Amino acid sequence: MSALPPFLSKSARRTLGYDILFMLPALLVFTIFFIYPVLTSFPLSLTKWNGISPDYKFVGMRNFVRILSDRHFWQALENTFQYAILVTLLQNVIGLSLALAVTSKAHRPVRTLFLVPPLLSSIALGMIWSYMYRPDGAINGLLTLAGLENWTQNWLGDPNLALYALVVTNIWKWTGMSMIIYLAAILAIPQEIQEAASIDGVGVWQRFRHITFPLIAPAFTINIVLSMIGSLKVFDIIFIMTQGGPGRATESLTTYIFKRAFDAHKFGYAIAVAVVMFVIIMTLSLIQMRYLTRREVRA
Amino acid sequence: MSMKQQEWISRSVAAGLALLWSVFILIPLYIMVMTALKTPVDLAANPFGLPHELTWGNFAKAWQDANLARAIRNSFILTASSIFLIVILGAMAAYPLARRTHWTAVTYYFLAAIMAPFQLAMLPLYRLMKALHLINTYHGIILIYVAISLPMAVFLYTGFIKGINTELEEAALVDGAGPFRMFWQVIFPLLKPVTSTVVIMNVLSLWNDFFIVLLYLPRQEMRTLQLAIFTFVGQYNRDYTLIMAAVILSIAPMIMLFLLLQKQFVAGIAGGAVKG
Repeated sequence: MSALPPFLSKSARRTLGYDILFMLPALLVFTIFFIYPVLTSFPLSLTKWNGISPDYKFVGMRNFVRILSDRHFWQALENTFQYAILVTLLQNVIGLSLALAVTSKAHRPVRTLFLVPPLLSSIALGMIWSYMYRPDGAINGLLTLAGLENWTQNWLGDPNLALYALVVTNIWKWTGMSMIIYLAAILAIPQEIQEAASIDGVGVWQRFRHITFPLIAPAFTINIVLSMIGSLKVFDIIFIMTQGGPGRATESLTTYIFKRAFDAHKFGYAIAVAVVMFVIIMTLSLIQMRYLTRREVRA
Repeated sequence: MSMKQQEWISRSVAAGLALLWSVFILIPLYIMVMTALKTPVDLAANPFGLPHELTWGNFAKAWQDANLARAIRNSFILTASSIFLIVILGAMAAYPLARRTHWTAVTYYFLAAIMAPFQLAMLPLYRLMKALHLINTYHGIILIYVAISLPMAVFLYTGFIKGINTELEEAALVDGAGPFRMFWQVIFPLLKPVTSTVVIMNVLSLWNDFFIVLLYLPRQEMRTLQLAIFTFVGQYNRDYTLIMAAVILSIAPMIMLFLLLQKQFVAGIAGGAVKG
C-alpha cells in the first residue's frame, strides 16, 4: 500500500484497503463481462468483421453511412417505435386504471391473478399466444361463437396486423407489473387525505386529478421509463412468435441486429446498429426522466 | 350528480374493469390448460371446450421427450449460483459505497450500466466468451448473469445500508472484530428485506432468461428449461397438446414459488421498481 498518499493515517489506509477488497470482486466481474464488451463495441462498430475470423478490417464510418440508406434498418426502427409507443401507452393507461380498481383488500385474489402473466417465460408466452392467434385458434373461435365471423383474421400472418397482435401479447404479460407499481404508490397515500377531501365534497374525478395523480408521480415516471425502455429492447416474443415476419412487418431493432450478426455474419454492421440503438434509447430515457421528474417536483 | 351516485358509478366501473381484465387474463390460461389435457383428436373436434376425457399422458410424454428433469436441474444450477454470487458480491460492494462519500464515482460507474442495453454488449461479449473458451460453459453464463445483474443489486443494497445506524458496526469494530467478520455477522443479517427483493427480481429474470442462453449456451446437454422447451416446440410443432403440457410444466415451478411467497414477490417487484 506504499502507493497511497502519505497524508493518510495508518488506520485510514487500512480502511481504504478493506473498502477496495469489498468492492473488487463485483467490480472485476462487472467490468470484464459488461463494461469491457460495451466499450469495445464502439471501435468494433467501425470494422468489417464476420464474427468468426480473428481479424477484422477497419472501415471508418462506412457502417454508419450505410445504415442511413438501409431501408430495412428504417423499417425496423419504425416498427420498434410504433411498438414501444403503443405498449407504453396501453400498459400505463390500463395498469393505472386497474390499480385504481383493485385498491381494497377484498381484491387480493384478483391482484394475484393479474400477477400470473409476468411470471411466464417468453417461450411460454409465445407458445400460448401463437396458439391463440392461429387461423383456427381460440380468438377466431371466440369471434365465430359471438357471430362475428367476418372479423376473423390470420392475426400473425397478416403484415398489417402482426405488430398489433404482438402489442396485445406484450400488454397481456406486463400490465400486471405496471399495476402493482401503481398500486404500491396509491396504497402509500395517507387514507386521511382522501377521506377529508371526500367529506369536503370533492368529487371522484377531482380527487384523482388533484390528490392521487400528483402523489403517485414517482410511480408514473418509473412505469413510463420501464415500459418504454423494455419495449424498445423487445426481442424474445418477436423472435419466438414471428421471427420479424411476415416479410419484415414485425422486425425490431434487436431482431435486426441478431439476424445481421448471426445469419448474415455482418458483426461489424450489427454492432453499428446496436450503437445507434443505444444512442436512441439513452436520448429518449434522459429526455423522459428530465421531463417527468420536473413534473414530479412541480406536483 | 350527488357524491353517493359518483361513488357508486366509479365503484361499478372499477368492478367492471377488474372483471374484464380477469377474463382477458384467464382465456389464454384456460386454453393452455384445456389443450394440454386433450388428445389431438379431441382437440381437433373440440378446440375450446372441456376435454372429452382428461389426458394426463401429455405431461408424462412432454416431461420425458423434452428431458425436462435435466433442463430444470440445469436452470436451477444457473439461477441459484448466479443469485448467490449477486447477493454476496452486491452486498459487499455496496457497503463502502453506502458508508463513505469518496466512492461516489464507483456508484456512477455501476449506474451507467442501467442505461446501456445488453444488445450493445452482446456481440463483443460473444467474441470475449469465445476467446476465454466460455461458450457452452455454466460458469461463463453465470459470470454474464452476475455482471448484468450487479448494478441493480448494488444500487438497492447501497440505498438500504445508508438507512442503517452505524452504532452496531462501530461497537463490533471496537470489540475487535475485523471488517469482514463485522460485515457478515452484523450488517448482512440486517439486509434481509433487500436481499429478498434482490433474490426475487433475479429469480424472475434469470429463470426465464432466453436470450443469453440462446447466444452463449447452445449445447444440447446443457440446455436450460427455456431452451429445452424452445427445442421441443420445434420438434412437435404441430402437436399443441404436447406443447401446452410442456409449457405448463415449465411455468409450474415459478407459479408455485409465487403462490408460496406472494407477499415477498409483490414487495420485491414494487420495491425493486420504486427504488430503481
